[in-house]
Amino acid sequence: MEEITSFLTGYPPFDQLPPQAVARAARGMQIEYFATGQTILEFGGAPAKFLYVVRKGGVDLLRETGSEIEIFDTLGPGEAFGYPSLIRDQAPAVTVRAHTETLAYLLPSELFHRLRDENPAFHRFFAAVAFDRLGFALKVRQDRADPALFQTRLGDLVRRSLMVISPDATVREAAQLMSKEGISCLLVDLPPVGVLDHNTGIITDRDLRNRVLAAGLPADTLVREVMTAPALSLSIDSLAFEGLLLMLERGIHHLPISEQGVVVGMVTNTDILRRQSRSPVFLPRQVDRATGLDELRNYTDQVAMTVSGLLDAGARIADIGRVVAVAHDALHRRLLRDIEMEIGPPPVPYAWIVLGSEGRLEQTLRTDQDNALIYADDAPPEAPAYFRTLAHMMVEQLVACGFPRCPGDVMATNPQWCQPLASWQAMFRRWIDVPEEEALMRSSIFFDYRQLYGDLDAEAGLRSVIARTQGNTIFLARLARAALRATPPLTFFRSVALDDERIDLKTRGTAMVVDLARLFALEAGRSETGTLSRLQASWPTASVSQAAAEGLADAFELLSLLRLRHQHQQITRGEEPTNLVVFPQLSPLERRELKESLQIIARIQRSVAMTYQTSRLG
Amino acid sequence: MVFLRNWDLFRKRERPAVLQAYEAGPWPDPRSHWRDASYVVLDVETSGLDPRRDVLLAIGLVGIEGGRIRLDTCWRTLVRPPEGFLVDASSIRIHNLTRAEVAEAPTFDAVLPSLIDHLARRILVVHVSQVDVGFLNRALRTNYGGRLAGPIIDTARLAMRLHDRAQILGEIAHEQPAPTIQLRALATSMGLPVYGEHDALNDALTTAQLFLAQATRLDPKGNLSIKSLLRSGGV
Repeated sequence: MEEITSFLTGYPPFDQLPPQAVARAARGMQIEYFATGQTILEFGGAPAKFLYVVRKGGVDLLRETGSEIEIFDTLGPGEAFGYPSLIRDQAPAVTVRAHTETLAYLLPSELFHRLRDENPAFHRFFAAVAFDRLGFALKVRQDRADPALFQTRLGDLVRRSLMVISPDATVREAAQLMSKEGISCLLVDLPPVGVLDHNTGIITDRDLRNRVLAAGLPADTLVREVMTAPALSLSIDSLAFEGLLLMLERGIHHLPISEQGVVVGMVTNTDILRRQSRSPVFLPRQVDRATGLDELRNYTDQVAMTVSGLLDAGARIADIGRVVAVAHDALHRRLLRDIEMEIGPPPVPYAWIVLGSEGRLEQTLRTDQDNALIYADDAPPEAPAYFRTLAHMMVEQLVACGFPRCPGDVMATNPQWCQPLASWQAMFRRWIDVPEEEALMRSSIFFDYRQLYGDLDAEAGLRSVIARTQGNTIFLARLARAALRATPPLTFFRSVALDDERIDLKTRGTAMVVDLARLFALEAGRSETGTLSRLQASWPTASVSQAAAEGLADAFELLSLLRLRHQHQQITRGEEPTNLVVFPQLSPLERRELKESLQIIARIQRSVAMTYQTSRLG
Repeated sequence: MVFLRNWDLFRKRERPAVLQAYEAGPWPDPRSHWRDASYVVLDVETSGLDPRRDVLLAIGLVGIEGGRIRLDTCWRTLVRPPEGFLVDASSIRIHNLTRAEVAEAPTFDAVLPSLIDHLARRILVVHVSQVDVGFLNRALRTNYGGRLAGPIIDTARLAMRLHDRAQILGEIAHEQPAPTIQLRALATSMGLPVYGEHDALNDALTTAQLFLAQATRLDPKGNLSIKSLLRSGGV
């Protein structure tokens, strides 16, 4: 019996159960042996009476679509089946067949239900709906996150009482109040005091130093003249990490915290940082403090360390992307400012654009450069030469900081990608109106753009062009077909049981979600570029349901985390990071997450194929 | 004391009611499919290999219903050796039993009703039946003048049968030696897990899985009757 217990505890969700619950499950098990090809559960047949756990051998899950029979999953030792039918007491939705001689442990229905009732982890793992399972899997990962950063709410950090001063008070009065109360920040507000509106602001000791003393203003200057208003604010329910990120992105140290529109307190960056054991978000400050390029040479290694710190702390993929983006933005600003100092100010405003994963805020570990430059239309004749010089210097310095050149030459040094706004608008328009192969390839890179630096508002200039995609059925259908070109490697799981085949977590993983999210966003005419924000923003208008969009988001998160953990391990071992994982080397939990994610993607790809009739396009 | 001794003698002559009921069966219908029958898979621990000289020390068994091993029917008991019987030190070591443990165990008399209840109306499955069946029959005969009554399947015989068949069908080379008779090695060679320490219950479980795997292999068309199965591995 100990043999069964120790086998079960090697696999999720039994590894989450208290030992006596596993022992009880083991004592109540039945054992059955199936011949090769034997049908264990039949589509539309009698409901499952057991939870089946494969002990030896393997089974295929078959789905009948029309006249075709498709193997959509293959389960090996430690994997379970039969629960959707068992939970609902309904005919199985799939046929389960032994593809080799299979020994299975069978957990009888009443024991299964008792374990589900008594153990939330068990209950979540065996949810009948695939979307729910994926959501729960993600939640379990997040529940293990560092409590200080990812479970503390800003409301828990509000300690000191809130001090309010009128905007018509003088800065001397503000300074006196701060020093009397021993605080570094005041809320500035008119009655009704504390209600968060456009005239709610803050004033900090830093403002007194930088905006009053350094600027030579008198002590009777009014607070309203030097305050920051409207003040940024987060709700008391926001995560501490969210607050820290906002502060980093905006370069601020104080954040008013509100509850239902009323400011209830103030949180400082030190309030948050004090709660965490080690700071994974030191990077942007280091970039700003660096005295020269030499100090930034190991920049990408520091990013890698930050990312692994966040990964260990259990950060969400979007949060990791944001932290890295904050650091990259600081780096770009720093480098471009230094270059402008060296070669003089730009002849016209310009925008330094990053593309692809960096544009989507999804850059994490080492990535190639993907950038472009857009400058204002009314440029003097010397402008192209100036921007060419700037681009060459910038690309060189990025290389020095650890960003390799783009092998496809998508960089601002390429004259094609360093052009005035009107040329960019024309290119975008052509890609949308004439969606040929090259155009589709370009749109997958250039539609995922983000401006990192410069006074030209590139987004405003391109938004109206990109909006042309909405309702453009020809473009969308072509884009849909391109998005369906890569398919989840589901039949692959059968062969991986036998040898050490590899699976590419990018091309047959995250990239498929990125493509779908871009499609839905353009369909909905949304200008978001992040995959998760695209999914969130597009479902109300696009041809994707909320459940499907959320399922895709969960799949994206799980696949990205898996890929990142894998790359992190490779870097730790001193190897070059790749996207390839050897399936049998994954933990049982990771295998399940991978499979379930790919199954959700396959499902949504099928419905996109139906919506766009992609098979009919020539 | 005299009274007790007389009662003892009386009982040895008249077979207990449980044993009589057991012998009456009924036994599974030989024409039915093998998965539909009830089985009890049994293993014993003894002080040695000779039923005439050695004694039973422990019995482990598990049931099979509807083609599924029922772990909730697992049963294991120690058996107290007859008074004055000194258990050899080497067999104590093999079974991880202590003399104190077996000395405090219930007597075969006390164990009999439960044992019979488990055996009744079920096909008995054992690995290398001479030993286990020999010891049980010896115990039943000396105590009550009875013996095992129902059909018995020997997994060691099934292993030989499968080996012969594979050779005839050309699935394995002619010169390939006969399979090992050792339970654990046999289970491992079929890719089956073996259970824990070498004791009567763990070995009964290993035997039960071996039996399911063997019967499944003998039944590629899904129509193997109990009669055919007994022809392949019956005792």
